[in-house]
Amino acid sequence: METLILVIIGLVAGPLLGGLIAGLDRRVTAWFQSRQGPPIMQAFYDVAKLFGKEKMVVNQWQILCAWVYMIAAAASVGLFFAQGDLLLIFFVQAVGAVFLVMGAMSAKSPYSQVGAQRELMQILAYEPVLILVFVGIYLVTGSFSIEAVWQLDQPLLAKMPLLYLALGYALTIKLRKSPFDFSTSHHGHQELVKGVLTEYSGPYLALIEIAHWYETVLVLGLCALFWSTNVAYMAVLLLATYMLEILVDNTMARMTWRWMLKRVWLLGMGMSVVNLIWLYAG
Amino acid sequence: MSNLLFLLILLPAVAALVCYFVRSSAVRTLTVVATGAILTIASLALLGQGTFEPLAVGSFLGISSDFLVTILDFALLGVIFAYGIKHKNLLIQGFTLAQAVLLAWFELVVVEHAAVPALVGDQLSLIMVLVVSIIGSLICIFAIPYMKEHEEHLHLKKSRQPRFFLFLLLFLGAMNGLVLSNNILWLYFFFEVTTLCSFMLIGHDATEIATKNSVRALWMNSLGGLAFVVGMMLVYSKTATLDISAILAAGPQGALMVTGIGFLCLAGFTKAAQIPFQSWLLGAMVAPTPVSALLHSSTMVKAGVYVVLRFAPAYVGTLLSDGVAVCGAFTFVACAALCIGQSNGKKILAYSTVSNLGLIICCAGINTPLAITAAVMLIIFHAISKSLLFLCVGTIEQAIGSRDIEDMRGLYAKYPRTATITIIGILTMLLPPFGVLMSKWMAIEAASSNIYVIVMLAMGSALTVVYWARWGGSLMATRAEGAVPEKQAALIRMPLTVLCLGAVVLSMASPWIYNSMLAPMFNAPPFTVSLGSLDAATGSFAVVPLFIVLGLGALYAVKAASGFRKVKIVAPYLSGSNVGEEGTYIGPMNGHVPFAAGNMYLGELFAEGKLTPIFNALAVALIVLMLGGAL
Repeated sequence: METLILVIIGLVAGPLLGGLIAGLDRRVTAWFQSRQGPPIMQAFYDVAKLFGKEKMVVNQWQILCAWVYMIAAAASVGLFFAQGDLLLIFFVQAVGAVFLVMGAMSAKSPYSQVGAQRELMQILAYEPVLILVFVGIYLVTGSFSIEAVWQLDQPLLAKMPLLYLALGYALTIKLRKSPFDFSTSHHGHQELVKGVLTEYSGPYLALIEIAHWYETVLVLGLCALFWSTNVAYMAVLLLATYMLEILVDNTMARMTWRWMLKRVWLLGMGMSVVNLIWLYAG
Repeated sequence: MSNLLFLLILLPAVAALVCYFVRSSAVRTLTVVATGAILTIASLALLGQGTFEPLAVGSFLGISSDFLVTILDFALLGVIFAYGIKHKNLLIQGFTLAQAVLLAWFELVVVEHAAVPALVGDQLSLIMVLVVSIIGSLICIFAIPYMKEHEEHLHLKKSRQPRFFLFLLLFLGAMNGLVLSNNILWLYFFFEVTTLCSFMLIGHDATEIATKNSVRALWMNSLGGLAFVVGMMLVYSKTATLDISAILAAGPQGALMVTGIGFLCLAGFTKAAQIPFQSWLLGAMVAPTPVSALLHSSTMVKAGVYVVLRFAPAYVGTLLSDGVAVCGAFTFVACAALCIGQSNGKKILAYSTVSNLGLIICCAGINTPLAITAAVMLIIFHAISKSLLFLCVGTIEQAIGSRDIEDMRGLYAKYPRTATITIIGILTMLLPPFGVLMSKWMAIEAASSNIYVIVMLAMGSALTVVYWARWGGSLMATRAEGAVPEKQAALIRMPLTVLCLGAVVLSMASPWIYNSMLAPMFNAPPFTVSLGSLDAATGSFAVVPLFIVLGLGALYAVKAASGFRKVKIVAPYLSGSNVGEEGTYIGPMNGHVPFAAGNMYLGELFAEGKLTPIFNALAVALIVLMLGGAL
């Protein structure tokens, strides 16, 4: 029963929090660029407006894929709040990621095709790092379930500093922030147009936006696990991490997927493996 | 009981002979369908009777069955040797001759011929019998219309189908014998029968390339046979018994015996086409599609992993076990990487098979109850999904005349049924809550205590997503209003539908499959089942809840998508220079410029020609390490 209530809280609070974070993100970015920026609630207004637009698609698979993406993202957040198995949460999240790519590939559009291929490269980059992070958590707690993390009396960060850095790497890619925003860009007027999102429009784009909010919450939830012993420090850690994300996003130019693959597979995996060796030895 | 066993092993052989000698297509169709039905029922009946202790077979027409197997063994080696001479291949001749000499010495001098019960049925055997009998039968049924069409393309004067179905059916019998054997000499005999059958089937079309590839398959598997004989002799020298159950019950017995088991694993590696032996399985795709489906999903390669898995209790806790795990994990990641660079659909399936077999072998090497559960689950679900995908590619190939995934773009527009089944097949290989992913989840959780293995599994898992997702996505397209419905022969549609439903429904039933068939294998079962969820100390996989949530979600999404005719359909965005005809835009001089997009195959990173020699060298080093580790 308690689990069910938690899941419902997660499903409702997920998009609300995610939307607020998206609004904040834009405000802080504007502040960096000495602009006023939109209201905090702008993300919600945008999505509400998208839902009111005429439904237009290139083909029916996009409708299917947009819905499955949203449902899988919500399910993964629900599973997170149900204190489920970390690997399983990740695999459920992957359902959404795969369907987003397949929907983009279903349209015969050069932009969305290129975006889809690049999104696959992003998955290729972050997936192994995330799995190793979960393995690290398993080595510390003796279980893959989130429940075990809350029973620690020392924050995970103390045992897994390098894995946290690697996680940060992976999450920047997962959230498609610069310098890893090559599967979709925030602004349409570039070589890629909107990449993997090009052919989604109106209400279906709104679904994808909501799914993205869920993913943001999931990602920050994972980060939160690293300081599970103290709520105040957890908040500080999350704030610092997300601020760093925004800073990186604003100061970096988009790189290429080759650069990313080499960087992540060498540096990210390298850091993870070193940290894992400490854990195995410890 | 023993009647069922006779039925499962000998009926396919008898049916095979009927197909060969009665050259009537109606009789052949009837024989194959009836055999398939009887095998399916018999395998289920065997399951219903439960496991059985080792059991003696007795004599046959007054000749002891052990003696008969020995005679057939040498006859088989003779036949293989003759093919070695016919194709002027010294490797085949050498390996076969060495096997014959060693076997003769073993049989005549070393072995004290005590009575050994020939057959046994434990959980693993019964599960394997189900996989072989049901999936194998469906593939044989699919082969009937497929081979008819195949021969129409070839314009043969005289049908070669009798020969084809002879070996196809014989294969099923040999596989059932292999997984039920308790006498290691019987295991060896059936192991060799599958070698011969696969050689015959790969070379079936008798083209130059088919012959070349079949000869390669034969020499690699003869090497496996030699490793088997050596392993068998080493094990016997220590344990002094041919009884597999007794060998397993005794556990590891010192360096010499474990080295013997190491050689048996090497034999399994060759049969399961682990790197560096992957080339024979890749070459096998020149054969007609049902052969590839049979080799890849339920038979040949599963014989290899079965041997490694069967002897797992005999090397538990040794360095050999770690070696097996590392070799398997290496094949898993290396073949997933090689798969990225492929656009040939059958080759993608082949590499993915080898990769998954690597994962099964890796699990056998990790050798904990959780890992063994993962291995057996993966055998079951991989067999279903992979056979389905092979049959899909075969159907697509006969429809569009190509097996390249770039040519399959937008397949849904013309062949909606085949495309949908293929997409479902791909999803069952890739995503939760389906069985293959669940096994992979178990494998990763089981491998977490071994840093070498877990790093390789993490990388392989990511590579796997890439090659499946892009294939699935490229099949999707719009169907024009009022397009002609797709035609499918009944005997093609039946296996496709059954396998597709099987992949989904059995995945959902996996907690019960685990409870009834896998849990009894262990003293301390790794999972408990509650509310349709598999719970272990290390984590839990909520199978049924996930099926309900994602299933309802998917149903809703399908319903939303089926209303698409009410939604405005627009052309893709082309910077405002669209033209009426699809796939072109207004280019320079107001000309209509066509465009196309292709998948990224990452040639600079994942080129097959560049990577294969490196992977082969690494794999040989790992195998040497593994065998040396046993000493």
